[in-house]
Amino acid sequence: MNGMHDLGGMDGFGPIDRNPEEAVFQQEWERRAFALTLAMGARGEWNLDMSRYARERMPPSDYLLSSYYEHWLHGLEHLMAERGLVSAAEISVREDELRSPPHHEAS
Amino acid sequence: MSKHQHNAPLPDPVLRVKALESLLIEKGLVDPAALDLLIDTYENQVGPRNGARVVARAWTDPSYRSRLLRDATAAIAEMGFEGRQGEDMVVVENTERVHNLVVCTLCSCYPWPVLGLPPVWYKAAPYRARAVREPRKVLAEFGVDLVDGVEVRVWDSTAELRYLVLPRRPDGTERLSEQELAELVTRDSMIGAGVVPGSKSTDT
Amino acid sequence: MKRLEADQVDAVLRRGATARRSDGQPPRFARGDRVRVLNLHPYGHTRMPRYVRGRCGVVDRDHGLFVLPDSNAHGLGECPQHVYSVRFTGVELWGPEAPDADRVHVDLWDCYLTAEPDGTEE
Repeated sequence: MNGMHDLGGMDGFGPIDRNPEEAVFQQEWERRAFALTLAMGARGEWNLDMSRYARERMPPSDYLLSSYYEHWLHGLEHLMAERGLVSAAEISVREDELRSPPHHEAS
Repeated sequence: MSKHQHNAPLPDPVLRVKALESLLIEKGLVDPAALDLLIDTYENQVGPRNGARVVARAWTDPSYRSRLLRDATAAIAEMGFEGRQGEDMVVVENTERVHNLVVCTLCSCYPWPVLGLPPVWYKAAPYRARAVREPRKVLAEFGVDLVDGVEVRVWDSTAELRYLVLPRRPDGTERLSEQELAELVTRDSMIGAGVVPGSKSTDT
Repeated sequence: MKRLEADQVDAVLRRGATARRSDGQPPRFARGDRVRVLNLHPYGHTRMPRYVRGRCGVVDRDHGLFVLPDSNAHGLGECPQHVYSVRFTGVELWGPEAPDADRVHVDLWDCYLTAEPDGTEE
């Protein structure tokens, strides 16, 4: 597909932003997104090409405005929803619960 | 896949990942201990020091160098580095006349067993967009100024081959041991986005 | 569909999952052949970047047989084909202002390419 991921030859992105002191992961959520993607991928319910295609289908404006592991997260959510493993609604409900945890519930 | 609308701010990844992880653990789809091991492997165990050992050996052992250029996957496995995102390796050699640069314009393909996970700039739009179109300008930004006539070969990792650049060995390092040489080799020099300090082909 | 357990992580990572296959379509091209990338714009997944579509290059090497992403991403089978490293000049890709000594090598599957009979090598 002619998606936003197909970046070769585009102009206007500006200089390459390098940080020589950079850590492997910038934030804790990136660690988790990375590991969840690999662990779910290892189950064999989808292949690497399906994962890439799921990331590529991100709307172009979202793709450019989000960071690398957000692309991964988008792809993972998409693949899980397609296969009925975890729905968008479930994630949304769980987010609400995490924002205001119910009392006395094991987590 | 959450309820994101166009032109609305993207949902907070911190909360999304927390929600997802707790759901996946609850459903028994992932093993929490496996997650920690996956992170530890790529954060602490696998990284560009592996690739540096391959390069240093190629500099000091001519028969290893020729095996590496002929069948990189097998030669790298000899050093104990193999597996995910390095299943099928190609090594390209920098010379007086050729400078190689590796990119993945479509995503972020990178040889994990020898270099670890890619740096942010390798995965970001500016490098992916520009490396194939204006590699000399990109290299100049990285501090690599090529003399006229040097061929620039950009390798776009569009398939499942993973590329490692064998950088040039700096002059005056004849007496260094393999281990000392490995310490000189930088990550960027193995992507082609740099040279090993002291090596030629980039002298202006 | 099994859960990845902690005690399997090391072996799974070390084994990887090669996309190389031993059987598949015979190669249509060989090193030195001049080829043109088809001008295709599939709505599905492909690993044919836009910037090489319709462009001419030379087969630099044959990497062997690999799973075809265009079918595999859609559950339509692995359909292994030869992948070639195709060498393009900067001028062919970006026009006459590109430096003469720039080359871009792109890994392309057999079905992305067509023979360019009248061409001569660079």
